Amino acid sequence: MRNKAAAFLSRPGVAPFLFLSPLIALIGCLILIPVTGAVVNSLFRDVTFLPQKFVFFGNYISLFSDSGFTRAAVFTLFFTIVSVFTEMGLGILLALLLNEKLPGRGFLRVAVLIPWAIPVAVSGRVWELIYNFNYGFANSFLLKTGLMNSPVNWLGTEAGAFLALVLADAWKTAPFVAIIVLAGLQTIPDELYEQASIDGAGIFQKFVYITLPVISPVIIVALLFRTIDALRVFDIIFVLTGGGPGGSTASLSMFAYERFLSGDFGGGSAVSVILFLMAMSLSLIYLKAAKLSEALK
Amino acid sequence: MKLKMFILFSVLSLLFAGCAREKHDISFNVGGAPAEISVWQEVVREFTDTTGIRVKINIQPTDSDLRRQGLVLPLAAKRAEPDVFLMDIAWIGQFAASGWLAPVEISDKARAAFFRGVIETADTYDNRLIGLPVYIDGGLLYYRKDIVKKPPDSWEELVRICVENGRQGENPCFVWQGAQYEGLVCNFLEFALANGGGIIIEGNRADINTAENREALRFMAGLIHKHKVSPPDTYTSMREEESRIAFEESGALFQRNWPYAWGIYSQEGSPVKGKTGIAPLPGFKGKKGASTLGGWHIGISAFSKNKEAALRLVEHITSYDVQKRFAIKMGWNPGREDVYDDKDVLEASPHFKQLKEVFVNASARPNVPYYTRLSSVLQKHLNAALMMKTGAEEALEAAEKEINAIIREYEK
Amino acid sequence: MREKQFKKAMLGAGYVSAVIFCLLPFVYMLYISFIDAASLFSKQEAAFTLKNYVNVIKGENLHFLTYLKNSVVIALISSLVTVIIAGLGAYAVTRMDFKWKTAVLLGVLGVSFFPQISIAGYIFKMLAALGLLNTYTGLIFPYTAWALPLSLWILAGYFLSVPPDLDKAAKVDGAGNFQIMAYVILPVALPGIVTAFLLSFIFMFNEFLFALMFTSDEAARTVPVAIALFTGLHGQVPWGDIMAAAALTTAPIAALAAVFQKRIISGLTQGAVK
Repeated sequence: MRNKAAAFLSRPGVAPFLFLSPLIALIGCLILIPVTGAVVNSLFRDVTFLPQKFVFFGNYISLFSDSGFTRAAVFTLFFTIVSVFTEMGLGILLALLLNEKLPGRGFLRVAVLIPWAIPVAVSGRVWELIYNFNYGFANSFLLKTGLMNSPVNWLGTEAGAFLALVLADAWKTAPFVAIIVLAGLQTIPDELYEQASIDGAGIFQKFVYITLPVISPVIIVALLFRTIDALRVFDIIFVLTGGGPGGSTASLSMFAYERFLSGDFGGGSAVSVILFLMAMSLSLIYLKAAKLSEALK
Repeated sequence: MKLKMFILFSVLSLLFAGCAREKHDISFNVGGAPAEISVWQEVVREFTDTTGIRVKINIQPTDSDLRRQGLVLPLAAKRAEPDVFLMDIAWIGQFAASGWLAPVEISDKARAAFFRGVIETADTYDNRLIGLPVYIDGGLLYYRKDIVKKPPDSWEELVRICVENGRQGENPCFVWQGAQYEGLVCNFLEFALANGGGIIIEGNRADINTAENREALRFMAGLIHKHKVSPPDTYTSMREEESRIAFEESGALFQRNWPYAWGIYSQEGSPVKGKTGIAPLPGFKGKKGASTLGGWHIGISAFSKNKEAALRLVEHITSYDVQKRFAIKMGWNPGREDVYDDKDVLEASPHFKQLKEVFVNASARPNVPYYTRLSSVLQKHLNAALMMKTGAEEALEAAEKEINAIIREYEK
Repeated sequence: MREKQFKKAMLGAGYVSAVIFCLLPFVYMLYISFIDAASLFSKQEAAFTLKNYVNVIKGENLHFLTYLKNSVVIALISSLVTVIIAGLGAYAVTRMDFKWKTAVLLGVLGVSFFPQISIAGYIFKMLAALGLLNTYTGLIFPYTAWALPLSLWILAGYFLSVPPDLDKAAKVDGAGNFQIMAYVILPVALPGIVTAFLLSFIFMFNEFLFALMFTSDEAARTVPVAIALFTGLHGQVPWGDIMAAAALTTAPIAALAAVFQKRIISGLTQGAVK
């Protein structure tokens, strides 16, 4: 029996299939099928209070002529770029810090995870309190230390609200980047650094020639997933600015959410498809840059 | 091996989850803070005791959008549950037009007990009654009666009083809700209607960029930037609670808010206890003031498998006794008009006399199925005008254009 | 020497800044949870109180501890299942030879681009048809499926960094696929596995949308939904209660992190290389 099983398993294509089947089954049923449904749905006028009809690209056309949509798309892209850049930078710095043999390392590791661990609904409210015009921590700190003379309406301007969101988002997600990059840093043996020091390399050179090459694949993974998540940003904006002021911080996800809730499932699906295309384009760019297929061979 | 464990576990949790549930006849979706839920549970328990119909209460978050989220999915999937649920007045139109509400069959005499204006504008669709108001709201003016002897009879006078009392700039005088959310539309509507304007939707056109609306919007922005009687964060963070607190803490003389704040101001520990008065909102010079209608209504799912039981629950909740209890215990404003004349109710809350007048004259928001989309377009443009990012005309023009595009999109 | 001192100073400054940056909002949150929240908005002095925690734990209709239990159990099971399934898949993708390798990786990535709201309706219908609404399993399935793409990619990345020589050595000793995975890859890629587990756990613990839509009461509801249940009818936010609830929510995760933080860091098992 055992030999028969072994023989079956070593037939080409069987083992990979077995190993991958739970994955494919779960993702297939719970994500691929709904996604296909959503894509097909986007070609229909699917509004709960109207008769359904096939409109082909009708939903997409009305989206592109909707100034609210184009604004949300621009904001989302801009937010993604700035936010991801910030959190990657902060995350890598944090990872480098965590990689050092410092006293109190354990404490730092737990501290670093806390922002990621707090639910966004809560941390959003905390940031709301911090930015609050009258009672917020930010204003009272600035006023007490004399750095400013009058309270600042942080969320009152488009730029202010944007930066406030980026900060709140980067605060939460830098830990995510940090721990992914950290585990990658851990695979680099200390001897390599010691050897490089003996050879006369400075901090910067060690980073560029030893650290970077090893953690590049890990950085790409973090970059990829952070970008995808940033494109779909919703919770923090919902709680902190509600899309304001003046509609300037509405993201595509929020846009889709409003459509779905008001009964326009076709429109909401169309926005989701556009989000998908944006995410896919960015991913392909990253992957080309990383030359992933080379690594796999 | 691992796969087996996984399957075993799933089956076990399925079985376990199944055992935990008790049988019930109908389910009822309700939202609110824990204290409010207790009252609902009491009401439902009574109902079960008298009729023997078992009701399961599903607790939802209070936030209007989150509640809608929890209802849209089962209704769009045509699920039988929840059988009975509460709806924000703002989205009854959407639910009714989507065919999700079963008619509420009560006698004409029973109908007459409720506020006629409310029933006709919000709860009627296609000439059928599809909901009943459980709790209603209308915008009010709060004022510091220890400083301002008589409430202003026009918006212009309100500004004048503020300037006279030296409350400008750093010391806010008049707080209202201007953040980018549904409350902003409620506030705008009150100013607009008080100027003879409003959101008019006739046939296939929306008329928003009217002279009256422009004036009203300009006035609102002017409160913040020109007269400086309203604080700069009016358009970023002022919602119900923020303005409620600001009225208590910042020494403001006036506030526009819903009636709920009155109960809080009457409690021990409130800095404005005994110093607050309420009045209907003023109009612009020579014109009548307006109040936007808010509140929660109860409806029966069109897909419910137990509509008779559901109807009886609805009747119980909107019965005189239960509504009276909501009024006295929770300080809620009942949807039944006759409760407002009750001796005990007036004793517990004398201000209900004034409230009744306000509600009789309150105006509903447009009851169109796409109202929520309309509102989000309006919100962002109104907010932009309050920010002074665009002028009033530009904002209303853009809003009108977008809303007309929505109407065209949704033509049958 | 100068370089060493400079480095020490930098590290010190870095450490302090990192701690302040990460913990400031958290400390603020704890602060609010221990004071009488009304004093936040008034000129009153803030008084220390445990009332908020008592409200949350004992609150009737809140069932907070039940929600916490649900969250922990669901997140634990889902993360475990996710890591196992992703591990199997990552092994296949990095250690086996078949043509559709890249397709799997990219496909799995691709479908994760859609926002949750767009597929929520379909999953809702599926769960309803299977009678899984408001059950643990009803959340475990979607959570696992949603967390698989990231876990697959993380694990694939780490498995790739395990030198193939180890494999070859094991094969020479007669090990089959399962054994290689269990005895060679696992120990070496442990930091990656723990990372994937931790990230999945935190995601599922804090997930809100699916939890709100697929559950209706404390039989399977999770903590993020519970936090949304505190607000009053007109947006009254009991800040003290919410922050206390948040602190109680963060506690299990912080505990998990404290337990695992060494594992995230463990270096290469020198022995395996030799």
